[in-house]
Amino acid sequence: MKELHNVNVAMRTLARELLESGTVAGVYGWKKGSRPTLTSPLYIQDAAKADRLAYDQYAVSNLSALLLDHRNNDKKRAIFVKGCDSRGVVRLLQDQQITPEQVLVIGLPCPGMVDEAGSLLTKCAECRFPNPVMADQVLGGVEVSKQPSAPTGVTAEAARKVGVGSRAGERMAQVAQLEGKTAAEKEAYWAEQHDKCIRCYACRNVCPACNCRDCIFDTEKKGWVSKAATSSANAFFAITRAMHVAGRCVDCGECERVCPMDIPIMTVNRKLQQDIEALFGPYDAGVDETVVPPLGRYQTDDPEEFL
Amino acid sequence: MGEGQRELIPQSVTVTKIIDETPDVKTFYLALRDQGGRCSAPFHTLPGQLAMLSLPGVGEAMFSATDGGDHLQLSIKKVGRLTDELHEMAEGQQVGLRGPYGNGFPMTEMQGKNVLFIGGGIGLAPVRSVVRYCVDHRADYGKLHLVYGARTPADLIFLDDLTKHWPAVEDFTVSMTVDNGDDEWQGHVGFVPAYVEELRPEVANTVCVLCGPPIMIKFTLNVLRKLGFQPENIYTTLEMRMKCGIGKCGRCNIGHSYVCLDGPVYRLDQLHELPNEY
Amino acid sequence: MKALAKKNLADALALLAGQATVWVPAKVAGVTRFAPWSPAVTLDLEATPPAVSPKEILLPETESLYRYSAYGMDVTFEAVEQEVPPTIIWGIHSCDVQAILCQDDVFLSREPQDAAYAKRRAATTLVALACTTPGPDCFCTSMGLEPAEHASTDVQLHILTDGYGVEARTARGEEIVARLAEKGLLVETIEPPAKAQACTRAVNPEGIDKKLVEMFEHPYWDELAATCLNCGACTFLCPTCHCFDLTDHRRNAHEGTKIRCWDACMFTEYTVMAGGHNPRPGKKERVRQRFMHKLRYFPERYGKWQCTGCGRCVARCPVHIEITDVIKEVGEVTLDG
Ligand code: SF4
Ligand code: SF4
Ligand code: SF4
Ligand code: SF4
Ligand code: SF4
Ligand code: FES
Repeated sequence: MKELHNVNVAMRTLARELLESGTVAGVYGWKKGSRPTLTSPLYIQDAAKADRLAYDQYAVSNLSALLLDHRNNDKKRAIFVKGCDSRGVVRLLQDQQITPEQVLVIGLPCPGMVDEAGSLLTKCAECRFPNPVMADQVLGGVEVSKQPSAPTGVTAEAARKVGVGSRAGERMAQVAQLEGKTAAEKEAYWAEQHDKCIRCYACRNVCPACNCRDCIFDTEKKGWVSKAATSSANAFFAITRAMHVAGRCVDCGECERVCPMDIPIMTVNRKLQQDIEALFGPYDAGVDETVVPPLGRYQTDDPEEFL
Repeated sequence: MGEGQRELIPQSVTVTKIIDETPDVKTFYLALRDQGGRCSAPFHTLPGQLAMLSLPGVGEAMFSATDGGDHLQLSIKKVGRLTDELHEMAEGQQVGLRGPYGNGFPMTEMQGKNVLFIGGGIGLAPVRSVVRYCVDHRADYGKLHLVYGARTPADLIFLDDLTKHWPAVEDFTVSMTVDNGDDEWQGHVGFVPAYVEELRPEVANTVCVLCGPPIMIKFTLNVLRKLGFQPENIYTTLEMRMKCGIGKCGRCNIGHSYVCLDGPVYRLDQLHELPNEY
Repeated sequence: MKALAKKNLADALALLAGQATVWVPAKVAGVTRFAPWSPAVTLDLEATPPAVSPKEILLPETESLYRYSAYGMDVTFEAVEQEVPPTIIWGIHSCDVQAILCQDDVFLSREPQDAAYAKRRAATTLVALACTTPGPDCFCTSMGLEPAEHASTDVQLHILTDGYGVEARTARGEEIVARLAEKGLLVETIEPPAKAQACTRAVNPEGIDKKLVEMFEHPYWDELAATCLNCGACTFLCPTCHCFDLTDHRRNAHEGTKIRCWDACMFTEYTVMAGGHNPRPGKKERVRQRFMHKLRYFPERYGKWQCTGCGRCVARCPVHIEITDVIKEVGEVTLDG
């Protein structure tokens, strides 16, 4: 994409400098994949490989969860982020999974991500934070903003044209549609979806909010959860996952994108967002590091009576 | 028991006897007990073969088994949740057992040779099954020499065998060492590899059976090489996480070899052909 | 050649379903996978290949092995007997037929056989469907397969303009064909079957099994593994991955069921030993195991690739780690000395 030509050049130059100077031990970005319509994650430690970096409208992967691989390592890693990705980094910082010293965040302008057929992704049409919410540096003239905002930087026009953020107001449409169903219909719907789950944990592993060192679903020895991939055990996993990221989910949509069984995970995440906002007021997770997530604070006027 | 997965379904066996070997090692005697209280072995094992012990609801783990005729013996060190629970058991308790698994030592191939046994810590358990076999078939083997080491005198297992039974066997030398002695310890102090070097065991027409912690194995192999042992004459056993025991569940592989089925006994030259991932 | 007209397909399936469970590619909750045929099932014979392989038919995601109980000093183990009905897998492609041969190697070729697998396999008849329009990630021809047919199926279906050419390859296959013929569901045709189009992707795996022997310590694995999520998407979708766990489904502190469920070498916990030692401690070791198994260890042990080129892992890896790239890149590596 021509608007991003200079950004690509700048990314490579910056990555090369950062690695050569020893400022960072590694750089997370993207590279072109096996098809022109694929842009996949890349990690480089060697300045000579900086030229492999690439960024375009197919760079959908949120790389932030990969930083968890280095949480026990003091060295700094650079990471390129789109708006939604930057919220993942904030998530990790706020959850104290990484420290600001361990990461150098480089914000990029987002042209809106498209699928292989070229259609704008739903998450992008519904996006409210197309600009990085935090960054140590930016490329392509993108502006850092902690407020819902219109796309900025060199791809602002392109993003507007494809409709980034155009359906931000309809984010809860799928939730509303489900809420319109009867309890029995809902149950049947989710049973069918959960039945499909193969417990591959791609949704968990890609998620910056799923950052527990020891996930309960891996600690089989304690016997709290069953590894059986039955509909009920899968539902237990799905609900546990959803509840555990409630109020912390940064809305990046990665869990749903990576699910090989196409389970509509975002519908659950959004439902919880909606409920939390109804109970605790507006809150956008992973935007402002200083604002504690609603389920993480203690307040005497908590809507839940037992507190 | 019906058709089912015979290979994967345990039988109930009774713990007929428990021996406290050291503060963290116990030997369990396991047998099928009939109405009249008579015991019989759940199955027979070759030296070096494995048995999967299960505590229902807690878990399963694989151990080196020693055939005791009318029972099987498993010597188990406390290393985690399952083994902790096993150590809490009393005689008379039933547990699940399945097996035997694995290849075992090539006792026939070893006939006519001298055998040098080297064991470290709990590694004496598989070694002991070979020793017992050689002692039971004394005429088939040449000179026997055991070098055994543990961290402290209190960590030495199978003391009766070490101090009474085996030294009484014809042409059987038992050399013991500990890493750290105590006030009463009169024997040798030092690590196994160094002791082996010091003892200069016979190399000609000798096969070596070596089991113990990875670090001990590594250094002992250096010594054996120095002494002139060829990889074709050294056998060792490997440990991996195991679930099925029949080469299907996948997790115990080292390269193309499945430790539960093709191992756990490997000749050093065979091991050299495999990736270094254990 | 005998032919089954498309309009007779439902009747044919209904006839066979009278005596066997007939698994067909179908759309289930938005995903193409194999499902037991009934008139209510939405057939999907176009998916190349179906998103979910038929692996679960012979190796269920979760199956009960035995019930256990432990009260006081006594423990009991009681086998859970599995009902295994006669089974037909209808519309399986060459890649997945080949995958079953790989599974046979693992579960049947070495003693002891896996009893549950053996029982299911013995009850299963394969009706393969020619694959003439490859999907975007298919590369089975590179792995030595022929998308239009597979020699080891019981019946091979060929694509005709308005139906399927039906060719029995085994006695079991003959039986099925005879039953269809008996009911007048087959006609004779001279129409030549459609030829398969070339696979979308092409790689050359020749010699990489040997090359990988020298590449265990190669830095390539670090680079490849850096972005891997260590999830189970690739292995669980793979029709040849056979790894499983034996674990407890507890009812209470005393009783429960021992289940067998899929497991994968990509998971951290997979190889951790009781004392905490893990022979594959990091992503690098786990990713290396997966590719080494498919492209070196399995060929060493069983004499065939453990990859059929079905492309499912390629299609669904969240970070696009593609076995086609691995085959290509391993081929390109220069080894010094
Ligand atoms: S739950 Fe899904 S949308 Fe939310 S942060 Fe995790 S991956 Fe992103
Ligand atoms: S990614 Fe999908 S199939 Fe995999 S565990 Fe998550 S919900 Fe289940
Ligand atoms: S490795 Fe990938 S392409 Fe090969 S058989 Fe498995 S899923 Fe298919
Ligand atoms: S690749 Fe991994 S999960 Fe698949 S069969 Fe091999 S070891 Fe098992
Ligand atoms: S290769 Fe891809 S699908 Fe496989 S574990 Fe890694 S991220 Fe998951
Ligand atoms: S324990 Fe299952 S393959 Fe070895």
